[in-house]
Amino acid sequence: MRSHKVIEIRNLTPSTYVIKMEKKDFTFKTGQYITLGFSGSIDRREYSIYSSEQDEFLEVLIKEVEDGLVSKKLKRCKPGDYLDVDGPFGHFSLKEDEISEKKFLFIATGTGISPIHSFIATHPNMDYQLLHGVRKEEEAYEREAYKKNKYILCTSREKSGDFHGRVTEYLKQNPVSSDTVCYLCGNCHMIYEAYDILEKQGINLGPIHTEVYF
Amino acid sequence: MKKVAFKTLGCRLNQYETDAIASQFQDNGFKLVPFNKEADVYVINSCTVTHQSDHKSRNFISQANRKNPDSVLVVTGCMANNAKNELEGRDEINYVVENDHKSSVFSLVEAHYNGEIFHPSKLNYDLFSYGSTDKGFHTRSMVKIQDGCDNFCTFCIIPSVRGRAVSRPIQDILENVKSVIAKGAKEVVLTGVNIGRYEYENFKFDDVVEQILDLDGDFRLRISSIEPDGFGDKFLGLLNHPKMTPHLHLCLQSGSDPILLQMRRMYSIKRFMEIANKIRSYRPDFNITTDIIIGFPGESDQDFEATCNVIKELQFGHVHAFKYSIRKGTRAERMQSQVDERIKTQRSEVLREIADDVKFQYRNGFIDKEQIVLVEKTDGENAKGYGEHYVPVEFKGFKLKKNHFYRVKIKNITTDTEPVLIGEQVK
Ligand SMILES: Cc1cc2nc3c(=O)[nH]c(=O)nc-3n(C[C@H](O)[C@H](O)[C@H](O)COP(=O)(O)OP(=O)(O)OC[C@H]3O[C@@H](n4cnc5c(N)ncnc54)[C@H](O)[C@@H]3O)c2cc1C
Ligand code: SF4
Repeated sequence: MRSHKVIEIRNLTPSTYVIKMEKKDFTFKTGQYITLGFSGSIDRREYSIYSSEQDEFLEVLIKEVEDGLVSKKLKRCKPGDYLDVDGPFGHFSLKEDEISEKKFLFIATGTGISPIHSFIATHPNMDYQLLHGVRKEEEAYEREAYKKNKYILCTSREKSGDFHGRVTEYLKQNPVSSDTVCYLCGNCHMIYEAYDILEKQGINLGPIHTEVYF
Repeated sequence: MKKVAFKTLGCRLNQYETDAIASQFQDNGFKLVPFNKEADVYVINSCTVTHQSDHKSRNFISQANRKNPDSVLVVTGCMANNAKNELEGRDEINYVVENDHKSSVFSLVEAHYNGEIFHPSKLNYDLFSYGSTDKGFHTRSMVKIQDGCDNFCTFCIIPSVRGRAVSRPIQDILENVKSVIAKGAKEVVLTGVNIGRYEYENFKFDDVVEQILDLDGDFRLRISSIEPDGFGDKFLGLLNHPKMTPHLHLCLQSGSDPILLQMRRMYSIKRFMEIANKIRSYRPDFNITTDIIIGFPGESDQDFEATCNVIKELQFGHVHAFKYSIRKGTRAERMQSQVDERIKTQRSEVLREIADDVKFQYRNGFIDKEQIVLVEKTDGENAKGYGEHYVPVEFKGFKLKKNHFYRVKIKNITTDTEPVLIGEQVK
C-alpha cells in the first residue's frame, strides 16, 4: 500500500466529485480498481480508476452515498492530504486484440461510468457507443469527454436526457447487433436485467464484461 | 523426546500447511501425538470462515492449556491475523503467528527452547518454504502452487488476511512434485487459495497442470478446490489425462445469478453449468463437489430454491454447505438485507437433505464398477482409502499395504450420511 498526495478535488454535482492524486510509479490496466482510504485509516473502499493509463495522475470518480461512511469522508479531503492506495485489482478489462477490431457497447449506471471513461481515454480511437443510466441530467458526468453522437444519456426521473427511461428499456427498444462487445458496470439490478436482455439478443458475456458496485 | 500436537481447522490449505509444519518437527526429533494427549508443544492452525470456527479455535486453546499448562502454545492461521490483539493478550498462548509467517512455526519453537525468544515478525519471510509433506498425516502429498487471492468476493475475508495473489515459480513446483514422487507419494494434490488464477511469467494454471502430468512416475494428480473462473478450456481438456483424477471441487456458492452478482463472483450459473456439462461429457461419472453459502444477504426463497435446483441438476458428489456469517471488513457485512438466523437454519436442513440424497445417488452409481483405491489404512486384509473419484472405499484383499494402489470391484454401499463404497480387491 502506498500514500498518494491529493492534487485537486473537482466537484461535478453537489454529491459527485473527482479526486485527482499524484500517480508516482503506480501502473494499472484500464478498467481496474483501487482501494482507497485516508492514510492510516482502516476504512477503505473500492473505486474504479477514472483516468487513463497514460495520464500522469490518478483519478477516481465518487458519488457520496447517503449514510455512507467512506464516500462522505473522502468528499472532505483537500489538496495536500494523503490517501492510501492499494491495488490495482480486478479483471474488468479490454482484450488487446479486440480494441481496434471490434464494435463496443458500454452500459453504465451512475458512477459506473468511471472505468468506461478510463477505457475511452486510454483508447480514444475505439469504435464505441455508451449508454449512461442516471436519474437526472446533472449526473451526465463530464459528458464532453465522449464523442457527441456516441454518448446516450438515459434519465429515469426527468425527460431531459437523450432517452427517458432506464438503460434496460433503451436496450429493449434498440436491439444490439450480435457482433458487439458489451461491458456493463454499476448496480447489480441493472447488470442482471441487461445481461438477460443482451443474451436474448445474441450477445455472449464472459466474466470480464461486468463490474458490480453494489 | 519432545512431543508436538496439532489441531487444524478450516480449509485444505491449512491441512497441507499443518502437514508441512509437522514434517519439520518430526525431522527435528519431535514425536507427533494426538491433540487430546499431553504434549510439549501445541500448534493450532485456525480458521475464521465461520463464527463456529472462531469458537472452536478458542475451545482448543483452552483444551491444550488444560492438558499441559507448561506447554508452548502456538496459534497460527487466519484467526491469528484477524484477532491478533485478542490472542496476544491471552497468557496461555505463547505465540501468535500470522499466515505470512506460518512456515516459521518450527524455527520459533526451536528458538523458544534455545532460550533465544524472538518475535514472529522477525522470522524468515518465505511463503513457500514448507518443503514436502510426506511425513505428515496423509498418503496424499499436497503441493502448494500459489497463495493469496485478489478476487475480493464480497463475503470473503481471505484476500485481506492472506494478501495479494502470489504464484510459486513453476520450476519450484515441478521440483517439489518430482521430489515427493521420488519419496513415494502416489497422489499429488495441488493446493492454494485461488489456484485457477495461477500466473508466473508466461505460465498459467493449465501449463502447470500439463507439465506435472507429463512427469514420469506412478502417481495421480488431484486438483483441490478451484474457483470456476480463471482457467480456460485447455484445462478442461487435461481432465481427460490418465494421470488426472476425475474429481474437482468447483465452488458454486449460490445457484442464483442475482446472488452471484452480489457476491461479485466471476461467473454466471449458465457458465458454471457449461463447465460442469463439458467435464461430464468427458466422463459422465466425474465427481464434481462444491461449496454453498446459505443465507447470503438478500437471498430470497426463490434464490435458495434456485440453488437447490442446481444441486439436483448437477448431482454433486458432495456439497460443503455453510450458513453465511458476517466477516468484519467485507462488503457483505455492510449489506442491508441480512437473512434471519432461523431462516438460514431451516434452509440448511432442506439443503442438507437434498445434498445427502444426491450424494447417495452419485456414489450408488459405482456399484458393480471398479475403482483404483489408494490405501491409507490397512491391517493387511481390510483396507480403507479413496478411489480416483475421491469417494471413500473399504475393501478386502490379500497382503494389502498402505500407500499402494489396488483395483477394487465395488459390491455395496453403506447407508450412513457419508456413504462408503464396499468392495473386493480384483486379483
Ligand atoms: C469494484 C468496485 C468499484 C467501485 N468503484 C466505484 C467508483 O468508481 N465510484 C463510486 O462512487 N463507487 C464505487 N464503488 C462503490 C464504493 O466502493 C463504495 O461502496 C461506495 O463509495 C459507498 O461507500 P461508503 O463507505 O460511503 O458507504 P457504506 O458505509 O459502505 O455503505 C452504506 C450503504 O450504502 C449502500 N451502497 C454502497 N455503495 C453504494 C452506491 N454506489 N450507491 C448506493 N448505495 C450504495 C451499501 O449497501 C450500504 O447499505 C465501487 C465498488 C466496487 C466493488
Ligand atoms: S475467490 Fe473469492 S471466495 Fe475464493 S478466496 Fe478469493 S475472495 Fe475468497
